[in-house]
Amino acid sequence: MTTKPLIDQLCRQLGKNNVLWLPEDLLVLGYDSTPGLHATPDVVVYPTDSEQVKAVVKIACDHNIPITPRGSGTGLSGGSIPINGGIVICTNKMNKILEIDEENLTATCQAGVVTLDLFNAVAEKGLFYPPDPGSQKISTLAGNVMEDAGGLRGLKYGVTRDYVMALKCVLPDGSLLATGGKSVKDVAGYAFKDLLIGSEGTLGIITEITVKLIPPPQDKRTFLAYFDDIRSAGKAVSQIIAAKIIPSTMEIMDKATINCVEDYVKIGLPRQMAALLLIEVDGHPAVVAEEAEGVERILMQVGAADVLMAKNPEHAAELTAARRTALSALARVSPTTLLEDATVPRSMLADTFALIELLTEKYQLKVGTFGHAGDGNLHPTVLCDERDEDEMQRAHAFYDELYEQVLAWGGTVSGEHGIGIAKKDYLARQIGPAGVAVMKRIKQAFDPAGLLNPGKIFADGQE
Amino acid sequence: MADPKSLGNFTAQDAPTYESLLQCMRCGFCLPTCPTFALTGRERSSPRGRVALARAVAEAKLPFTEAIKEEAFFCLDCRACSTACPSGVNPGEVMEICRSQVHQQQSLPKWQESFRNFILQKMLPDPGRLESSMLPARIYQKLGIQWLVRNSRILKLGPRWFEKAEGMLPELHTPLRQRIPELNLAKGEKRGRVGFFLGCVMTLMYAEVSRQTVRVLSHQGFDVITPKLQKCCGAPHLTEGDRETTRQLAAHNLDLFLELDVDAIVTDCAGCSAALKEYEEILHERREIDKLAKFRSLVKDVSEFLVEWGLRTEQLQPVNRSVTYHDPCHLCHAQGISKQPRELLKAIPGVEFREMNESSWCCGSAATFSLKFTAESQNILDRKLNNVQNTGADILITANPGCHLQLAWGLREAGMPQPVMHLMELLGQATPE
Ligand SMILES: Cc1cc2nc3c(=O)[nH]c(=O)nc-3n(C[C@H](O)[C@H](O)[C@H](O)COP(=O)(O)OP(=O)(O)OC[C@H]3O[C@@H](n4cnc5c(N)ncnc54)[C@H](O)[C@@H]3O)c2cc1C
Ligand code: SF4
Ligand code: SF4
Repeated sequence: MTTKPLIDQLCRQLGKNNVLWLPEDLLVLGYDSTPGLHATPDVVVYPTDSEQVKAVVKIACDHNIPITPRGSGTGLSGGSIPINGGIVICTNKMNKILEIDEENLTATCQAGVVTLDLFNAVAEKGLFYPPDPGSQKISTLAGNVMEDAGGLRGLKYGVTRDYVMALKCVLPDGSLLATGGKSVKDVAGYAFKDLLIGSEGTLGIITEITVKLIPPPQDKRTFLAYFDDIRSAGKAVSQIIAAKIIPSTMEIMDKATINCVEDYVKIGLPRQMAALLLIEVDGHPAVVAEEAEGVERILMQVGAADVLMAKNPEHAAELTAARRTALSALARVSPTTLLEDATVPRSMLADTFALIELLTEKYQLKVGTFGHAGDGNLHPTVLCDERDEDEMQRAHAFYDELYEQVLAWGGTVSGEHGIGIAKKDYLARQIGPAGVAVMKRIKQAFDPAGLLNPGKIFADGQE
Repeated sequence: MADPKSLGNFTAQDAPTYESLLQCMRCGFCLPTCPTFALTGRERSSPRGRVALARAVAEAKLPFTEAIKEEAFFCLDCRACSTACPSGVNPGEVMEICRSQVHQQQSLPKWQESFRNFILQKMLPDPGRLESSMLPARIYQKLGIQWLVRNSRILKLGPRWFEKAEGMLPELHTPLRQRIPELNLAKGEKRGRVGFFLGCVMTLMYAEVSRQTVRVLSHQGFDVITPKLQKCCGAPHLTEGDRETTRQLAAHNLDLFLELDVDAIVTDCAGCSAALKEYEEILHERREIDKLAKFRSLVKDVSEFLVEWGLRTEQLQPVNRSVTYHDPCHLCHAQGISKQPRELLKAIPGVEFREMNESSWCCGSAATFSLKFTAESQNILDRKLNNVQNTGADILITANPGCHLQLAWGLREAGMPQPVMHLMELLGQATPE
């Protein structure tokens, strides 16, 4: 079908205000935050409920048109980029919080609710939704679920997956699937819910999400620890965990990151330090006091250059907010910011830092590293210029070698950003041909015509 | 014909640099702070979308289309995105530059000319008294009326908007510039000497505010020099994309004020101080690095200046009112000045300061009354008025004439009791004669 009748049909179903087709609109809805990736859809729709999503999917099915779901486009692996054109379904108008159930401690939302909006809404009722990706200010819940997003609180509170109780979605043939519910236990049949989480929009289009809420911690204590060399910071992380203390947050920034963040926030971070750890312990006041003491002791033992405690909640919030800007702040250094998502068992953290240092030297690159140290999840970020071919080649060689070792250590090529377009080759390396083959069969079971978010996770011809 | 020096489909003169566009990593942090994105929910009307459009033009993937022109003018230039952007991107500035591209690439519609005449007549009570017949034109540009005219089609304004527009325009007075002595001497122990930059809107519409500013400055111990020969700061021309006129005005003011040999160049118009601080960049072709840097270091918004030198509070009289404060975009986003005005307010004896929610969210002044005509657009102003109301404060304080007009009009339409006052008016009340 040519585009014109398609547009007309979509307009009839959704209303003209919810369909975009001008080139200027299409152009800006074909990227996410992954550098260097862009594609142009043929038409973009903004459904307001699951019935409208269903209608769009039906139209796409009838005419064999690819569909790509999109939240706020903050993804870091290209998941929402419509590489084969077709229809992009934006969920931003499905942004209602449908229910906050204080008896069952759950919240039910439409797919496009912004993460921080949910956090604030439940906080008003004295409840807590912990997953807090750096992008929480704008990322959508469905985007979080589809990438199984982690966040700064991941170490103690887990990732998005740990909070999803139920999902409603439209399958690629237009049928509705509801899986999970408010009951805390559920073993009826295959765990579709778990399969959908982290599926990067390739199995179904999420329309509604029910998440678990918990009571907020009564007390917390926030520290900044500075280090003269980054390996001691890595050691501090392993030793705190070894001492059986699980902080809610244990985030790391290296020197390059500290400097970029300071350029933006101007809160007096020490520019000469090699690394900084942002550590937060929370919970019952008595436990917090005890753990805080333990953390301080260990920091001193491993030789932190300085340890600073947040003066008050505002100060603590300022420090956490500063950490959230790390990636975007690094982007001010160079035109292109290539970021990776290597994750290793926590005990290998210090070695990973050493390896990053070595490879940075070897390939003559500028690298800033930050990440969720407590989760063993690092984001070594190459600051480069996509117009410099030689530099780009060195950057890719850097990641190749890094991932080889990360996999050898039992790590993963993606801790939280997903595979998308950007990391298809690495996935095959990690899970092998058998893994890819079974994933493809699962994909086929959900989407026999291959219309939903094609070209993601594994290459078409990949075995 | 393609100019070899041009960047993609931009013309060579006054185009954005490619680096400034590549700098955006598309993280979306700016999206929740952008009023036009909140209004339309359309990515192309967001800072991230606007930079992406400009980048597509720079990469010759898109011609400089009508839609890009629309976005360039739909952008409020409020700079909230610059504050929010950790990567140092300035989408508002990119759009400002695109406006100058509009002039180079497209001819202007005729109705715009006739509207300008209408304003000239309406707004010129006694043309003979004004220094320059261009003054009212500058004002109508500065208040965003021109913006409105250009966008009346996009915004689908009803036919009656003309009348409403008229109703909002305040009375014009004899310009303060002609009445104020060139030198006002310091009172009490003298601390220094400042040059006072008197903005066009201030001199014509808010003469009383600027009179208070000068009085406060002299009471604070500064000789205040207000050169009669000063010209418009050039901000309206920049906003409209006429960068050449801006350069001429900038050069004139720069030389004039540097000759005064003062400790600071102070203004009470946030739009002006923001523009004056950009002279360094606007005039970079003059290659007088030292001179430009000196000028840049001298320019201060009046609140910034007073906090830097320390407010003498001994003689201040109490003002027993509760106040709330609206951050003008050109002060908080363009210049990063938000603590200083609050510090001054809190230093006035008797004043009870109440912070409002979203104090740095644009009041819609760039779009002014125009937006009243669609249900959606009333949101920008309503959002602000709601936040004002929730504070229950007696007085709404701000520090920029554009915001002042918009807020005063909004409060009046909504039947709310608060008067709007410039920060310097309140400080003036506390300052003995
Ligand atoms: C500055 C910055 C910081 C970040 N920090 C973190 C972090 O700390 N932790 C972390 O895990 N990630 C982080 N991210 C990555 C990103 O924000 C997350 O992956 C987020 O979950 C994406 O949400 P989104 O709404 O932008 O989704 P999008 O990018 O729009 O989409 C992501 C994927 O989900 C699919 N999708 C979206 N909506 C639906 C739907 N309704 N149904 C089916 N599929 C759908 C898309 O097709 C795509 O594959 C960060 C990104 C940035 C730019
Ligand atoms: S302008 Fe800045 S905040 Fe907005 S998307 Fe680009 S980098 Fe992010
Ligand atoms: S200057 Fe204001 S209106 Fe323009 S893009 Fe930035 S935030 Fe939006």
